[in-house]
Amino acid sequence: MSNDVWVVADLKIDGTIRKVTFEALTEAKKKLVGKLGGQLCAVLLGSGVSGLEAELGKYGAEKVYVVDSELLKDFNTEGYVNALSELIKQNEPAVVIAGNTVFGQDYFPRVAARVGAGVAMDAITIDLSGDNKLQIERFSHSSKAIQTQVFHDGATMMATVRPNSFKAEEAPATPEVISGSVELNPADIHVKVLELQTKESDRPELTEAERVVSGGRGLASEENFKYIYELADTLGAAAGATRAAVDAGYCPYDMQVGQTGKAVSPNLYIGIAISGSVQHFAGMGSSKVIVAINKDPEAPIFQKCDYGIVGDLFDVLPPFTEKVKQLISEG
Amino acid sequence: MKILVIVSQTQDTEAKIQVSASGDSVDTGDMKWIMNPYDEFAVEEAIQTKEKNGGEVVIVSIGPARVIDTIRQALAMGADSAVHINGDSFAETDPFAIGKLIASEIKKLGEFDVIFTGMKIIDEESGQVGVQVAEELGIPHVSLVSKVVEINADAKKAVCQKEIDGGHVVVEVPLPCLITCPDAMNEPRYASLPGIMKAKKKPLTEVGIDDVNFEGLGFGKEAVSKEGARVKTTNIEVPQIERKLKIIKGSDEPMVKGEEVAKAAEELVKLLREDAKVI
Repeated sequence: MSNDVWVVADLKIDGTIRKVTFEALTEAKKKLVGKLGGQLCAVLLGSGVSGLEAELGKYGAEKVYVVDSELLKDFNTEGYVNALSELIKQNEPAVVIAGNTVFGQDYFPRVAARVGAGVAMDAITIDLSGDNKLQIERFSHSSKAIQTQVFHDGATMMATVRPNSFKAEEAPATPEVISGSVELNPADIHVKVLELQTKESDRPELTEAERVVSGGRGLASEENFKYIYELADTLGAAAGATRAAVDAGYCPYDMQVGQTGKAVSPNLYIGIAISGSVQHFAGMGSSKVIVAINKDPEAPIFQKCDYGIVGDLFDVLPPFTEKVKQLISEG
Repeated sequence: MKILVIVSQTQDTEAKIQVSASGDSVDTGDMKWIMNPYDEFAVEEAIQTKEKNGGEVVIVSIGPARVIDTIRQALAMGADSAVHINGDSFAETDPFAIGKLIASEIKKLGEFDVIFTGMKIIDEESGQVGVQVAEELGIPHVSLVSKVVEINADAKKAVCQKEIDGGHVVVEVPLPCLITCPDAMNEPRYASLPGIMKAKKKPLTEVGIDDVNFEGLGFGKEAVSKEGARVKTTNIEVPQIERKLKIIKGSDEPMVKGEEVAKAAEELVKLLREDAKVI
């Protein structure tokens, strides 16, 4: 068993590294590595990923384990599970961290089961307990409660961390690159990816955006969501929606914020024509500043936001977006 | 075709949350228990699969005696039989042991084609068990399946569309496999009155903790408890976030109207720049 702390790089479809990876490296270095006395390491899995090691070094990785294989193409879950499990078995790190992205939630628990490790999902803080065991905090019960969880066995301790929970800070290191220690076998891959479809979007991803603009059923049509997109683009924000708006067919499921959609915690969350249900707040209640525009003064969101206008979105949004544009162009 | 569904019971998180006296769990005294909403999608998908391909749907659920209500609900929706792994301590066991226990009971059910389960449970908000059951059974899983394109028992394969950040992938997976279900995958049916009547007579097998073959699990009975958990919840708090509640309203009626609109928009922008400093 080593004292090393690992962060698994989370890649986007375009092959770049997600911000949550740098956030996790920064926080792991601050809270875990010194006390444990090991090294901060990154794990880079994928197809054609060689070359990204330096970027991981920029955020403090002293060592990068690389498995670069055709078999890891298109986010092949089994390939990731096999590669990471093998690396963990070979090197026995103390802690392994990954981003709580859609893909992280897919492969990470399976790795934990395979290597016999405990795993905590969607941590918003990471630290060590008095006897140097991983200790995390996470939301539970529709984000109404925060649990503290402490590991207590001697095996590798694993956790996923919620994007936007920590600040990424550069801490340049020149990492030692270790590759070739894991050989993947095509016979072990049973799931075939037939097709990968990417969404062309210039907007940031919901879970890692600093700002989010979301619309509810009050938008009344797919066409009217243009108001949401315009404000989002003005602010450089991601666009989101409530479940009601998604169910009504105004926008795709991947925009859904809430208990049964994505969890976001941006600096600024603007909810347009959103009533503010428990389920929606489960996905955005931890946002730093919440703004509401809604014509119903009794909407629950007005009891739990920072700023708001009671007004019809079709009246308020055009001049609001215009003012924001003006302000931003003035700098 | 043999279709399994792993179903959990959960606290209705719509309710107000109160921390228990011990400080490390939620007071469940007055709480309503419901079928985990994600598992409703799983049950619906299983029944639809049966309607298309023929066969049977078997519910597998773990937890104390109260879980039977949730099992009956799944049977009333149209599942054919159920296995209840019954024990009070299971409610406090960590997902690692739960996954192993469920898998060991599934092994006793003989051959099957597909397992459906919800992508996560809404009280703990954890999504490990389904995926870990697949690992224990040595079968592939496909998570967050937004659409099952086809399940072909003869060709022993399924084609599913699954969501990833920034797009989706279509995968072909050999059977048997495990599929986890997100929201919006289908529209779960309500149990009909005849369905509810019939559910009472459907076979329900009870498995007690003494029926579990711990030798095959790699851990002892003591692991199936709060004390035995690898990751323990030591504290739980209900945080109160103070919000500023600066709401701009109209002068005559709550809604801003006419000339007030532009002023309200300007004021809000100013608040966001100068007060909140976020734009």
